[in-house]
Amino acid sequence: MKLRILLADDHEIVRRGLCSLLQRHEGWEVCGEASDGREAIEMAKQLKPDVVIVDIGMPYLNGLDTTRQLLQNDPNFKVIVLTITDSDQVIREALDAGARGFVLKSDAARDLVSAVAALQSKRMFFTPRVNDLVLAGFLDKGHAVSRNEPPNLPTLTAREREVTQLLAEGKSSKEVATLLNLSTKTVETHRSNIMRKLSLHSIRDLVVYAIKNNIIQIQMPPQIGTPPETTVA
Amino acid sequence: MAVRILLVDDHPVVRQGLRTLLEGRSGWEVVGEAADGVDALEKVDSLQPDVVVLDVTMPRMNGLEACRLIQRKRGDSSTLEVLFVTQHDSPQMMREAIEAGARGYVVKSNAARDLLEAVEAVSQHRVFTALARGPLASC
Repeated sequence: MKLRILLADDHEIVRRGLCSLLQRHEGWEVCGEASDGREAIEMAKQLKPDVVIVDIGMPYLNGLDTTRQLLQNDPNFKVIVLTITDSDQVIREALDAGARGFVLKSDAARDLVSAVAALQSKRMFFTPRVNDLVLAGFLDKGHAVSRNEPPNLPTLTAREREVTQLLAEGKSSKEVATLLNLSTKTVETHRSNIMRKLSLHSIRDLVVYAIKNNIIQIQMPPQIGTPPETTVA
Repeated sequence: MAVRILLVDDHPVVRQGLRTLLEGRSGWEVVGEAADGVDALEKVDSLQPDVVVLDVTMPRMNGLEACRLIQRKRGDSSTLEVLFVTQHDSPQMMREAIEAGARGYVVKSNAARDLLEAVEAVSQHRVFTALARGPLASC
């Protein structure tokens, strides 16, 4: 029987690249593609894939919260997180969310097949940096990466994190309500609770909080406007 | 004659995705790939592509800088054109890309929709720009 893989990434061009990579492997099939976390959760319920590959930086619901919800719905899902950064905080959150594989997007062409193969063999797959951090945590040398460690966002519920992401993406309370099938009043209550819990005073504060805590991710552009002096080789 | 295309992006998976899209089109040939701006400049020299599909944010040398240098190297007689495929969905970045000499600008989230039309346009020396939420422009 073929190993069934669900891909979740907001860029179709990346999904095409991943598909092309994975489908070269005999015995694996990409059974579905989702363009955001919410779609991934719905597709996973229907398709029951063996492995789910989720990008961290997705709209509507980021990859970390997607992983949490997937595993809450079915603890047997095996999730690989794809990320553009392997900062300590992202690693800790991915492990805490229950990911069993962690692959840098820049290394996906090299590592993703190995990661899926590892999960297929009931092993885990991490980048060397994650392995170092896990080992350091195990040896208790100050880089503890432990499932017992309190998560970075201890005061927000899953629903509040979803609302936080959507508000930080620029959506109005009404738009959030429509997306989450809630009343606008309920969303506004969530919004007030979030602001109070986190001691935030404006949407700008909320956006900064969301970026700092990997609820949304941004890629900084190169400095533009003043091209540096260069010479043609 | 085939349109010769060079793909430049620091993520191999993105290059692979672009390649699968472009190689489906008869008359187009992906002649090479580069992982950053420095690599791109070398491959422009050695492979003589007609269209360079270029990312903005890359290590060693970003795409804007690479585009400026490609323009300075190519000379007036060259038919080489640059098309940016980037995740920066920003009018300011698009303006900067065009000022650097690019003929086209496509946002990565819409690349699967816009890329073929954009390559078609720039290979015929027409401008193609499209932000994610803005109107398409081809002339």
